[in-house]
This record gives sequence, structure tokens and C-alpha cells, in this order.
Amino acid sequence: MSAPKTIDAQRSIDAVELEIIKASLDGIVQEMQNSLFRTGYSTIVRESQDASCALMDARGQVVAQHVVLPLHIGSFPACCEAVLRAYDDIAEGDAYLINHPYEGGSPHAPDMCVITPAFHAGALVGFCASIAHKGDIGGPVPGSCSGQAKETFNEGLHLPAVRYQRGFQRNTEIERIIACNSRTPELVLGDIRGQLGSSRLGEQRLNELIGKFGAAAALACFDRLLELSERRMRAAIAEWQDGRYEAERFVDDDGVRLNQPVRIHVVVEKKGDHISFDFTGSDDQAVGPANIRPPLVRGAIAYCLIALVDPHIFINSGLMNAFELKTREGSIMNPRFPAPVNTYNPTVHATVEAVFGALVNIMPAKARADSCGSRSIILGGRSTKAGQSYVQYEILGGGGGARATKDGQSGTSVNQSNAKIAPIEIIESEFPTRVTRFELIPDSGGVGRFRGGLGIRREYVNLADARFSIRSTKHVIAPEGAAKGGKGRTGDIVVNPGREGEKRLPTRYADYPLKGGDTFCLDTPGGGGLGDAFARDPALVVSDINEGYVSTQAAQRDFGVAVTRTGRKYTLDESATKQLRAVR
Amino acid sequence: MADYRLTVDTGGTFSDFVYVNDETREVAIAKVPSTPDDPSRAILAGVELLIATGVAPKDIKYFCHGTTVSTNALLEGKGVRCGLLVTKGFRGIYEVAEQSRPHGPAIFDILYDRPAKLVPPSRTGEVSERVAFDGQVLLPLDEDALRKTVRELREEDVQAVAVCLLFSFLAPRHERRVREIINEEIPGCNVSLSSEIVPQIREYYRLSTTIINAYLSPILARYIENLDDRLNQAGVTTPQKYIMQSNGGMSTFSATAKKAVATVLSGPAGGIMASLQACGATGFKNLVTFDMGGTSCDVALIKDGEPSVSNRGKVEGRDVALPMIDINTVSAGGGTLARVDRFGELTVGPQSAGAVPGPACYMRGGDQPTITDCNLVLGNLGEDNFLAGRMKLDRALARAAVENAVARPLGMEIEAAAEGVVRIINVKMQEAIKAISTMRGHDLRDFMLLAFGGAGPLHACAIAKELGMAGVIVPLYPGVYSAMGLVMSDVKHDYIRSRMTNLANADEAAINAVFAELEAEARADLRDESFPEDRVFIEYALDMRYAGQGYEMTLPCSAPLRAGDLKTLRRAFDEEHKKTFGHTAPDEPVEIVSWRLRGVGRVPPVDLPTFKPTGEKLEAALRETRPVRFDGASVSCPVYQREHLDVGVTFHGPAVVDQLDCTTVIPPGGKVRVDEYRNLIIGAA
Repeated sequence: MSAPKTIDAQRSIDAVELEIIKASLDGIVQEMQNSLFRTGYSTIVRESQDASCALMDARGQVVAQHVVLPLHIGSFPACCEAVLRAYDDIAEGDAYLINHPYEGGSPHAPDMCVITPAFHAGALVGFCASIAHKGDIGGPVPGSCSGQAKETFNEGLHLPAVRYQRGFQRNTEIERIIACNSRTPELVLGDIRGQLGSSRLGEQRLNELIGKFGAAAALACFDRLLELSERRMRAAIAEWQDGRYEAERFVDDDGVRLNQPVRIHVVVEKKGDHISFDFTGSDDQAVGPANIRPPLVRGAIAYCLIALVDPHIFINSGLMNAFELKTREGSIMNPRFPAPVNTYNPTVHATVEAVFGALVNIMPAKARADSCGSRSIILGGRSTKAGQSYVQYEILGGGGGARATKDGQSGTSVNQSNAKIAPIEIIESEFPTRVTRFELIPDSGGVGRFRGGLGIRREYVNLADARFSIRSTKHVIAPEGAAKGGKGRTGDIVVNPGREGEKRLPTRYADYPLKGGDTFCLDTPGGGGLGDAFARDPALVVSDINEGYVSTQAAQRDFGVAVTRTGRKYTLDESATKQLRAVR
Repeated sequence: MADYRLTVDTGGTFSDFVYVNDETREVAIAKVPSTPDDPSRAILAGVELLIATGVAPKDIKYFCHGTTVSTNALLEGKGVRCGLLVTKGFRGIYEVAEQSRPHGPAIFDILYDRPAKLVPPSRTGEVSERVAFDGQVLLPLDEDALRKTVRELREEDVQAVAVCLLFSFLAPRHERRVREIINEEIPGCNVSLSSEIVPQIREYYRLSTTIINAYLSPILARYIENLDDRLNQAGVTTPQKYIMQSNGGMSTFSATAKKAVATVLSGPAGGIMASLQACGATGFKNLVTFDMGGTSCDVALIKDGEPSVSNRGKVEGRDVALPMIDINTVSAGGGTLARVDRFGELTVGPQSAGAVPGPACYMRGGDQPTITDCNLVLGNLGEDNFLAGRMKLDRALARAAVENAVARPLGMEIEAAAEGVVRIINVKMQEAIKAISTMRGHDLRDFMLLAFGGAGPLHACAIAKELGMAGVIVPLYPGVYSAMGLVMSDVKHDYIRSRMTNLANADEAAINAVFAELEAEARADLRDESFPEDRVFIEYALDMRYAGQGYEMTLPCSAPLRAGDLKTLRRAFDEEHKKTFGHTAPDEPVEIVSWRLRGVGRVPPVDLPTFKPTGEKLEAALRETRPVRFDGASVSCPVYQREHLDVGVTFHGPAVVDQLDCTTVIPPGGKVRVDEYRNLIIGAA
């Protein structure tokens, strides 16, 4: 076996060709993404769009990514490196699968990565890849995300880098292994084939591009695009004030040790165009599945830097070279195998918020209170409709943190999460579930000069026996306010609220047995507020009351605003407000 | 006396008119300055122009109008004060919308906000009722409570109410009763029911579409009523008065007034419909339309004489789940700026020089190079014949701008820099074309590029060549192209019904029953619009997907289905899936999600006039010879005046064709002929 040929990138670069190649790469990743969304099978890919695509160079560095899920920018290179480590006979017509968080860079096992190599004139020129969340990849609970997992062995089927296609022929043995290990084999294989189709499209277009410009010129442009993104990022960082900044955030618990918050701690040191993020002060690795692997930490930092520097920057692995990351082995940010990782998302949100928390010291104009994080609920069972087993999966946002100049958004995805909400009519048509309430929660936004966004309340009736899992966050530790702003309301999950058998579940919990007729209510957290609530424009408070976002009691207590009621409308009681605001 | 057709497309600056004499087939065009405060004034002015030529108003038998009234009201937030009624407990549907942020920069942008809601919660009422996924009523409508809620909306002074109840697309009874009660409690209030506007599964998209309709309908209805009055007063009393819709079909004045949301893309649809006529006239059935102006470029696809239509889209960030012509817009125009940043990267757009200061060569103080400046440097544009010589361009200023901002920082020749900038903008437009063509399984070798707009014909040949397209068409009147499209569009009404059905368990009769229901509706509507039976045509289609898949594909079919047709349909679905997405799953179950039916009321066709050769020689059209740069080399190039190019003449590139409102550049080897409609047909080099 011989390693694939490589091409030496030519050094001198034509500025025009660079831009043409850049625009073409944008088109290619867009095309891959469109194809993946449209052909996805599972609810997660098709309705929630929990999937993303990237184009990599021969070393596995992301050259272009159509950004749907920012976190994956850290995952792709790690997955690709695993393939490069495992195989020295990569050939045209190959395809690889990997979902192993330690071998590769998948956040957790359900995030399956499909990678295909691209060749030009016999030489490896790059890879096309996608990561898409699978509804179920086995393990003890439907959806494969057990909040009580203590090892990755409780987290479903793990594939190290394996060859899924050779000579464009699928390895049906791998498919059979996957099928035997999933509660929803058709959906998982259907999604994987959709990913493969998307990769092949990308490969074809990459080939056309290289055919047109020549491999040496095209690859030189890839290098240059990486370098440009790094230089842009560094140049922006160089303009920031030097210093050492520190912040911490907490995750409710790790799912196993229920009364023990998990600490994420970061020290940011910035000098010249160097910036480093040191997480060694974070907690030791968790017993439960709250751990995250370093590729995700990198993705989270990149997310924050892009947000603070320029949301329009050309996104590729070059950005990752613009900062240094330090984690401690055996800690929550760099756990040792086989520490469980499946409900990584709360930790990533806490990481993003800690990094923002540290960096807004440099840039107060971009200040932002903490947000709701993200959560998913998973119901699994045997459908009364089709007799097949099913996994109903929903991803929910909540309140966004207030910003330096305006209120937070309500009922939104936040930070690096960006899933669509599943339509009620689709859920009820496919699964034995009925939604009985879907609204925003009044008074859930943190108070402040700018108010946090409101959380979401969804109530359900379960129509058949099912196994219920949730992986949420901020049910115990509320989203922080900023600059004297109040905290957002915490989230909550209660089964059979106000009825016999009422039970509050922990923030992350797996495999609660629901009976047909059981109800449950999910509240998602509100965003934190920003600034002094007593400095909020009273007219805005009155408007919030009339729109049902804030109660009159909260207005009086938290904002120092009194109102009088005429019919169904409230108007400002100026003198009472003046008094309220004076006595504080 | 001859009958006349009159069409008008209202644009931001000009209202464009086309008059057709149905007997002689003579076509005349006119431009009148638009009157944005009341667009009907400009329309009347155009009507008067026709009447002034001696045409009796009663002989105007057909009037069709492309309007931006809805689009602008949405854009500027000038719709009416609306209320919203939702199923009790489900206010979150509108508040949360899709929940996600648009892909790309918005995910990173801390300051990103969704478009402001058209109805606040204080004007949102809840209706105690509930229908299940199978259409069963779980909770009957509480009419007393509803009446109370509606009275509260009345106190809020709403002019329109949108109603969107869960599963109303299956069981519209509750929504209909809600309307009766609103009519009783708030007489004269406009009511939009989601079960009528778009009876389709997925509550948020249905709700969003219905709210936009409620928000715009009273505005559009008032406008149409006023326009109709004015036309009647002017003697134009024909019942055949139509408005162009986003789906490329026309609708009568009265039908349009009820479904304003269907007109949010009325304006651009005209240009696409004109291109369809070009299909008929030129014989090319597959086109990509390419409309490049000062700041943006719109592209759309026409396959087998049918424009590509998408069933859902966003207009100004708001979700509209109605069929609309699929127009892809990219930020690329004559005014798009080129610059080299401090990292040595040459970027082109998305910033534009705008009208002020405009391109450097306009001599209005601009010193940054635009696409127009680059075209002037390259010789694609001449200094003296821009807008027929009414506006002089300054080549020295263009060169200076390109030199300072691009050539010197990159160490390039000025011409090479200008050529590079044009290549980059062309690639961006090529990607926009790929997004609607090759990305959906179409082979561009079978397509002609139809270029219009001020800058389209300048770039068209280069783009068509890069994309390997069959050639380029430059129509005779690129400047009033949208109004031409209104001359002979058909009336088109779209009907939809969602019923999730497993294809394997379905039978032809059950499928036919749903189509029959929709067809009866369509035929009744067209009959009301006085279309005789023999001018009514029905098109059927099914939205299908692999069970559990996220997107449906629309497959045309013929109805009623006969025994065995379902098997054929299944195969057709697999094939279409393979073609569009590159893979297929013939063993997976397939579901029908929605039935679609289009009722077409065919308007008598009008043949556009053809021209006879006058015998004028090609040399007579030659105005000058100037150097033009192609692929790095300067070539001496003849410049022809379009107006003097005789029918039937042929010539080869390199050549430039100038006309009043645009310039066409033909690269070396391109073969040009002038067809009998005086279109330029340019074959691949």
C-alpha cells in the first residue's frame, strides 16, 4: 500500500483566481447542504436541520463550510484526521463513517460523520464531509442520549473511522451492523445515504473546480484562504486591549451526581495578536455525560470570536489557528476515554457564555446577558399508528439574553445551537403524542434596562406508553444577567403537573416510563437581563404588560413601574412610578 | 374597431406600458414616471396616452397590471391593523416562528432580530376548540367565548383578522364558523382563513402566510377598487382586468383583492412571463432568465416552457407558503464595488456605489471602481453611446479608479485588474444560476440565457460560456420586458389540500376524490370569472416524499388516475428523486402529503409581430470600431447599432451591439443572428 500522491501547492497566487475559487467553494458547500436537508430522512435532519457540510483539504482542514451548526467547525477536522490516521490506502470511490467522540470529533455518537475523499489525476486533493444527527444509534435509551450514562459504552454504537464504500460500492456489512444497533434503522441508513449523496455532489464540483484551475493553483488558493481567515482574526484581536480576563459558568449537574454543579472556568490572556484560552481551572471530568472533547471547545471559542470580530468572516479552519487552547487532561473539557459525553450541549453553552463573559470586558458594546441554552426531548416507543418503533425528537430554545442596546429575543435558538422547532401538526400526524399548549412564559425574561427574551412552555399528552428522555440545562442555575441585569427564569420539566403522580424530573434524565394518558410540561429558561431594571423606559414596561410579557406585579416589584387599568389596557401611573423608583 | 390589450408594470422609477392591437398585432411601448403615492395616477396617464392616439376606451378589452403595492406595504410596514385568532393555548406558534436563525452570519450576529411581528399578542385572541391529526373534533368550538374574544378585537379597532387553527387544513369547519361570527360582530372586517389561503400541513407556515394576507388584503383591495373606478371613469369598462401574481399567473381584480399575499412577487413575475413568450417565439423551451441591473441580479429557470416554481419561500424574511416563481437574487450589478483590503484580498461586492455617487465614470464624484467602470476600461462599454449618447462616460476616471483601488495594490495592469473584477462578479452570478439549475438536476447545456436589465446583455455571453450553456437571447425591448410579459399571461389559481397518505395503502379512487373536490372548486372560480368551459384547463400534481422525509417533491400527474397509475407514479417519484438528489430508495414507503391543483383560464393568445427584412446591410449598422479586451488580449471590435440590425443578418464575434438602454458584448467566435422578432440569438462560441 502506498500513501496517496499529494500535490505541492504553488506559492504565487492570482488574486482574481483566489476570489473565483472562494465564490465557487461557497457554492459547493451550499449545494451539499441543500442536498442534505432535502434528502434527510429523520425528523432531526428534515425538520430541525441538525446537520452540516464542509469541504476539507487533503490534511483535513476545513476550507469552506456553509454554516448551519457552528460547533461542527471543530468536529470536521478531528473526524478527518481519524480517517487519515486509520487508512493509508485512501482511494477514489471510498467513503468513510465515523461517530466516535474520542477517535474523531463527533460531539456524541448520534452525530455521524460521512467523509469522502476527492481525487484529481490520481492525487488526493481534499475531502467532502457532512455531520448529521441520527435519531437513534442504540444504547440503553431511545435517542441514545442517556443522562445517566457513566461510560461511552452506555451511549450507543460507536464507529471508529471505517470504510463505508470502496469503489463506490457500499459495504453492506457495516450497514447491517448499524441497522442491528438502531431503534430506527431505516431512518439512520436513509440519512447516511443522503449524506453520501451530498458528499458525492461536493466531490464532483470540487473536481470541476480543480480541473479548471489546475490542482497546484487551486490548492494554493485553499492554503491562502486558510491563512487569510487567520490573519483577519489576528488583526482584529490585535486591536483589542491587552489583558487577562477570567470568567466562570456552571452547568446544573452532570446527570449522575445530581446536586453538584459543574464548573467551567476560563482565563483569557490577550497580548498583541495572540489570544489564549485556558480552561485548566474547570472541574475534573464528570461521572455523568456532561463532558466535552477539545474539538468542541475549539468550536465554541471560534463561535465567540466570529461573533465578536465579524459574523461575515469567511469561515474555515484558519480561524482555529488564530487562538491557543489549553485544557487539562482528565477535566470536563478534556476527559479521558471512556468518560461519557452524550449530553454535551449544556457544557458547550456554558463554555460559550464563559468566553463571552470574559471577552465583553474588552468589548462592552457587544455585551450580552446569558441565554437559555438548548434542550431536546426524546420519546421512544412502538407506534400505535404504524406498529413500528419510533423516536420522536424535538429541540427547543427559549429566551435569548438581553443585548447592550436592546431586549433579548423570545422563543429562539441561541449561541451555537440553531435547530428549527418541530411543527405540531407533523408531530401529531406521526407520533402518538398530542401537544396541548405552546406559548411564551410571562415574566421569564431577566429584568434589566433591556429585558431578557422569554422562555417557551410546551405541554403534551402522551397517548401511548413511551420512554421519555430529556437533556436540558438551566433548570437549577439560571441564565446570568449582565451589568446589573436580573437572571432569566429557570427551566423545568414536570410529569403529570397538578395531577396524581406529579413528578419533577432532573435537568437531564433518561428513560422515564410514561404511560398512555400521562401529561408533561416543559418550561424553557428565559434570557438574562442587561442593565438596571429601574432604568428601563417605563413605556417599554407598560407595553410589555399590555403584550402579556410582564405581569403588573413584576413591573412594580422589579422595574419600579406602576400602572392603572382602563378596560383591558394598562397605562403608566407616572407619580406612583416616580415614587417606586425613588425609594429604592 | 380593433380590440386592444393594455398592460402596465409599475416600477420604482417608471411605469412601463405595452399596447397591442389584437387585429394588426402592432405593439407600442411607453414609459411614464411612476407616482408612488398613488400608482394609479401613472396608470391613468398611460391609458390616456393610448386614448390620445384615437383608441376608443371601450375597445380596450384586456388590462393586466404588475403591481408592487403589496410588496411595498410589506417592505415598509404599511399594512393594516390586524388581529389574529389561534387555537387556545397556541400563541407560541407565531411568537416562536421557526425558532432558528437564518443560516450564515445571523447565527453569529448577537444583534440579529427576526422581522417585527405583524400582529402583537395584544391583538391575538384564543379560540377554544381543537381538531386532531385525523380531522376528528376533540373539543367543539366555544362560540360564546369566541364572541367575547372577537368583541375585544373590535375594541382594538382591527381592520382585518387572520384565523389559523390547528389542523384546519383537514377540517375547516371551525375556521368558517369563526368567520361568520367575526362578520356578525365586526361588520366589514376583512377575514383571512388559513384553511382557504393555504390549506396545508405545518401550522407556522400556514399562519405566517395567512397573517401576511390579512395585513395586505385591505390595502390591495382599496388600491384595486380605486384603480377600477378610475379605469371605469376613463371608459375602460372591460371585465377582463387582471393583476399578475407571484406564481406567474394572472388573477381577476376581485379575486386578487381577497388574496393579496399571492401578489408579493407580482413585479418580477412579469419579466419571467415575458421570457415564456420568448420560448414560444424563439423556439427555445429551456431558458435561464438573467436580469442584471444597478445593484442586484435576478435569475430564474424555465424548463419546457414552464417557470420553476417553489412552494414556499421567504419575502423580506417572512415565510410565505404559496407557489411563487423561484427567483434567486444575488447582490451583483453595474454599481457593485471592487476593492483590495489590507490583507491583499480583492473583494467584489456586496457593497454598491448606489445612485450617488455612482460609478467613477459617471463624473459625479465617485472614485471607487464599479463593475460599470471595469466594463468601460475593457471597452465593453463606449464613452459616447451610453443611453444613446445622452450620458457621457469618462474612461480616464474609470481607469484611475481601477488603478488606485485594485491594479496598483495588487501589482497588476489596469486592464488585467478590470478583467479580473468582471470575472469575479461573473462567478457570483454563475453560482446564483447553478443554485437554481444544476443544483436541482438540470443540465445547462440545454438552456439558453435570456438577458435583460441594464447590465444583463453586457455579461451574458461570458456567463453562458463559462456555464456551458447553449447560447444567449437578447430580446428587442429589454427595458419594458416585464410589461411585455403581462400581455398574454393566463389566469392561474392554485389549490392545495394536505392529507398524509401512505401510497402503498392508497387507491386511485381515494386520490381522485380529493382531486375532484379541488377541481370543482377551481372550475367554479373560473366560471365566476366568466371563462367558458373550453378555455379552462386543469393541472394536477401530488406532493410526495419518502415516509418521514422532510421535504416533499411535487410530481405532476394526470387525473383521474386509472388503475395501475399509482405504480407508475411511484416509479416516477423514485426517478425524480434520483435526478434531483442523486440517490433513491425504491424499497422505502412513499407518502402523499398534499394534493395540488392549478386551474388555468386561458386568455386568447396574441402573436407578437414579426418583421420582414428590409435589405439593410450589416455595414449600415456599423457605428465604430473600438478595442475590446477578451481573455487578456485586446481585439479590434465592430460596434453595431441595434436599431439598424436587419432581420436575418448574421455576424460573428468579437462584436458589440449598442441600443438605447443596454449594450451586448459578443466574444470572439460567438455567432449572432437577428430573428424575425428582432431578438438577438447568440450561439455558443
